[in-house]
Amino acid sequence: MADVLGAFEQAVLLAIVRLGDDAYGRAILKEAQARLDRDIAAGAVHATLDRLEHKRLIVSRLGSGTPVRAGRARRYYRPLPAGIRALNDARAAVDHIWRGLKWPLVKARSFA
Amino acid sequence: MTDDPSTLPPRWAESLLRMMLRPADRESISGDLLEEYRQSIVPALGARADRWYVRQVGWYVLRATWPWAALAGGILVGRYLLDTLAPVQYTRGIRHPRSTIMSWALIATYALGGCWQAWRTARLSGGIVGAFVTTALGGALSSLGTVLCLAVWHDPQMWRAIQGSGGIEEALYGVPLMLVPVGVLVGTVGATFGRTAAAIYDVSKPNTKSA
Repeated sequence: MADVLGAFEQAVLLAIVRLGDDAYGRAILKEAQARLDRDIAAGAVHATLDRLEHKRLIVSRLGSGTPVRAGRARRYYRPLPAGIRALNDARAAVDHIWRGLKWPLVKARSFA
Repeated sequence: MTDDPSTLPPRWAESLLRMMLRPADRESISGDLLEEYRQSIVPALGARADRWYVRQVGWYVLRATWPWAALAGGILVGRYLLDTLAPVQYTRGIRHPRSTIMSWALIATYALGGCWQAWRTARLSGGIVGAFVTTALGGALSSLGTVLCLAVWHDPQMWRAIQGSGGIEEALYGVPLMLVPVGVLVGTVGATFGRTAAAIYDVSKPNTKSA
């Protein structure tokens, strides 16, 4: 069984998968913000990337900088097989607990 | 979108950010924030963009210091609770073991907080600033904890116990304020050790492993 991922970790990891070769800090932040439809602190994304890398679900490398970043290097991320496995497990778990229910749910029956 | 190199966030905030980051993250994270600031935030928020930047930096500073600040705040609130719920007779000129234990626990927290921060940032200044934030935030948490305790326990007997152990003013702001210079001083000593250890083990090498 791979690592159990939280919802935010899934959002960040899926952003990396979607972005492919362009997955660096700010791009991941924008992608996660767009998918979750809310403002996210850059620090929250960086902390999650750090945690995922520590869990060996992703790996990073330094790329080159650009003038808009004052030449500062970008750190690019890519998922490791364990990361992909963790995403698949997370999706399977959600599918499993929803099996047999129609979505969206209708109002629950009253006990009265 | 603005790529204008003269569009810069507050210099002090950027210095603070770089001070609190690990060497491996210093370029990439400060670059991400600068890119976001220039390309998205300044065009969207204009003059309020600096506030956004300062908020982001605050997040990194809090993240680096909150465990030590929470520990310091917890020690202070614990001492307050012990003194009010299980009061002891303090005698002038004689140190009670409770005072000694609490004092050393605080000193160890400030010293280790400064040491850890200087170690991970490989910067003495990072350790000193970390110690200052730890002390200030720990004091604020302690004041908040004291207020919460007062909200729960505030009968006349409790008030007498509080007055007998230094008074409410001392617990609310006297001790937290007094501890700021002490925490910074002790944290600086810890930071010196942390910085030395970082130099010996060379943690300043940026993480450049390839994917």
